[in-house]
Amino acid sequence: MGPLSSPSSAAAESKIKAKQPWRCSPSRPAPSPHPSSSVRTAARTACASPPSPSPPPPSPRSRRRCPATTPPPRGTQTRTRPPLFLRPATHPVPASALAAFRRRAAALVPASAPHLHRHLRWLLADASTTSDSDPALFRAPLDHIESLWLGHVRARRPFQYVVGNEHWRDLVVAVKEGVLIPRPETEAVVDMVKGVEGFGGGWWADLGTGSGAIAVAVARELGDGGKVFATDVSDVAVEIARFNVERYGVQDKVEIRQGSWFEPLQDVKGKLMGVISNPPYIPTEDLPGLQPEVGWHEPKLALDGGRDGLEHLLHLCEGLSSALKSGGFFVFERDLTSNICASIWQTNGNKQSEFLVDLISSKWSSSFRDVKAVLDFADIKRFVTGYHR
Amino acid sequence: MPEACWTAKPRGPAGPELKPTLRFATSAAAAMMQHHLRRCGGSALAALRRLRHFPAATPASSPAAWRRPSLPSRPYSTAENSAELPANLVAIMEQRMKLIEQKSAYLQDQVNQPSASPEEYARANKEFHKLESTMGLIKELRSKQKEIEGLKSLVTNNREDKDMREMAAEELLEAIDEEKRLQHELFTSLLPKDEADERDCILEVRAGTGGEEASLFAMDIFKMYEKYAQKNGWKFDVIDIMESAVKGYKEASGTISGAGAFGKLKFESGIHRVQRVPVTEKSGRVHTSAVSVAVLPQADEVDVQLRNEDLRIDTYRSGGSGGQSVNTTDSAVRITHIPTGTVVAIQDERSQHMERVPKPQLQILYCIVYGVTMNKAKALKVLRARLYELERHRLHMDRSKLRSEQIGSGDRSERIRTYNFPQGRVTDHRVGITHHSIADVMEGESLDIFIDALLLQEEMDAIASFGA
Repeated sequence: MGPLSSPSSAAAESKIKAKQPWRCSPSRPAPSPHPSSSVRTAARTACASPPSPSPPPPSPRSRRRCPATTPPPRGTQTRTRPPLFLRPATHPVPASALAAFRRRAAALVPASAPHLHRHLRWLLADASTTSDSDPALFRAPLDHIESLWLGHVRARRPFQYVVGNEHWRDLVVAVKEGVLIPRPETEAVVDMVKGVEGFGGGWWADLGTGSGAIAVAVARELGDGGKVFATDVSDVAVEIARFNVERYGVQDKVEIRQGSWFEPLQDVKGKLMGVISNPPYIPTEDLPGLQPEVGWHEPKLALDGGRDGLEHLLHLCEGLSSALKSGGFFVFERDLTSNICASIWQTNGNKQSEFLVDLISSKWSSSFRDVKAVLDFADIKRFVTGYHR
Repeated sequence: MPEACWTAKPRGPAGPELKPTLRFATSAAAAMMQHHLRRCGGSALAALRRLRHFPAATPASSPAAWRRPSLPSRPYSTAENSAELPANLVAIMEQRMKLIEQKSAYLQDQVNQPSASPEEYARANKEFHKLESTMGLIKELRSKQKEIEGLKSLVTNNREDKDMREMAAEELLEAIDEEKRLQHELFTSLLPKDEADERDCILEVRAGTGGEEASLFAMDIFKMYEKYAQKNGWKFDVIDIMESAVKGYKEASGTISGAGAFGKLKFESGIHRVQRVPVTEKSGRVHTSAVSVAVLPQADEVDVQLRNEDLRIDTYRSGGSGGQSVNTTDSAVRITHIPTGTVVAIQDERSQHMERVPKPQLQILYCIVYGVTMNKAKALKVLRARLYELERHRLHMDRSKLRSEQIGSGDRSERIRTYNFPQGRVTDHRVGITHHSIADVMEGESLDIFIDALLLQEEMDAIASFGA
């Protein structure tokens, strides 16, 4: 892989990258981090995310650049390469080479991160098959796997992007760069949906579906007449969501519509039994301080909640009453600590104020009832739920 | 007589070696068994043997009865007179019958009382129904006994009428046979039952002494039970597997779902000892290692009610706000039941060994551990089973000392079986049976040899405590 190309072609290449999924595969380990702000700004623009004031983090983006080949013409179907864990295992790796790689890979693990040993085991498990053949068959050449490992350990590339999946609830959700990795806290949302009387036959909306994890999980619980409308503004998200929906065979229950929040759902306004959303809720000013796996690699589009992290949540609250039918249910995921900057609504000295719940209960008290905060497994007020009157 | 004690079905030409004597873990149990044999004269043993040869009734039909055999429509022939229950057992049974009849009448009164509160009514009704099937048998037996009395008087009163007497005598013989059959049925239904026998179970296998070799054998044992479960048409689901460095299983647990799964597998709890040359061994020396197995009956929410305030659920905490701001692969869940101090942890180890491809066109990798929600559900299942087992054990111990010496009393640290690979044989120490095809056993094929013997011994123990 050559050195970083000039910034002028960066924008074009980034756009190509967005359209040509999974094609880019480096053939040798990534070079040391090389800060190149223009490349990253262009990449972010291509992903239609708001410009971030923070300095770009150092990360070897080069390994994800595409080779300088002519892109396929728009409109034709791009040959989507599957995520690592789904590729055919056709690469023989002799046991000695594998053992040597294991040793090298384990040596790279810093003492402060023992969980990486587990990741190495999982990477090798996902990258191969169970058959005890010698040489073992892998889903990618060993040097590619080695470069993936380096990206994970050195550049803090999320493990889920490396293997291409996230184990979430009872699913194995395919993910890749450009899509938010489903969080374990979000799993509880599906149980809340199941707690709604008559949920099985209702129409549900998953706004900002990302990988489609919530949409697929809810769809699997629905009965006759139940449907999920999943919307997302990002191309990559729509592609990945579609992939996951097909993998789990719920195409008849899930309809993916590209667009922003409620906008693609005009035809079902007032007919929705429920609205689910895990919108970006991190305050913009908190983005630079995030864990590198998140801040350097996951899409800002899926994380940036504007000032106080409430921008999208408030937008959703505004559109909620017209979208839901009477008696409809809603659940939003958020982060309470992001709300503590809210001014007027904060009760005296109580940092854990319930801004969103208070807001909905007072501003839209005529529209909603039973608005409350629900805790996640770490006892943090993670969700806001309620019913449309 | 002694060599006929075991119902071990011979498997092919190379049948199992049957030890002619009964061997027990404690001499006290042996003495008790000898005393029991003397009392029953061995006829009860023979009778039970005969019972065991009948195909077991489908458990779904009568959950209250403990392995009620489906008896043929023809009662015992008169030639099988040794099928009669010994007199002392009949006497004890008569006492029990009277008690049950009294209790049933009392409960019926309670149920019919107009002034009873709803709880009292529900309780009395429930208990009344529990006795229903036994009462049915008792009524049948009583009516048969009356019939016999009537026929007897016919025989004695009709000395002159030869035809009448012969007919009555014939009917009398048939009625007596029928009475014996009913007595058997009633006897079996009165034996102490373990209602947990019908349930699904949770299997836990842990590598004990022996390090890596023990973990490899733990994996072999776990797979052996998986094959045995499949052979019996039960569903085998893995809960969790903790792998060792050499890809063995440090700890593995799974659920086995199917009618009567616990009833058969409950004898597997204990220490299994293995003697073989480890894979890692260079000099070819035989090593001894141990694996501990625990089989727990699955408990429902009805059996064990867990209150949220009694549970402490620990999951990975990022230390910050979590959610979108954190990336983690840690979905481990640990649940502590505060009142009893029981801790159940579901780790987040994936295992390639459990990969299954349900739909050929979709290569979905089914790993044991998914997200936090599923781990929590699994942990709660295991916790319920453990608490249920604690309660059962406590009830078990509360009964007479006799039962605590009997088989299946649940001493987890008891060494129950030795697998000797160089000599190719498996020995169960509780019943003293050795099977000479270790490969069969590890394939789950020959476990029934041990299990049947253990089941029979459990029945004999039950008879002993019946008469006590």
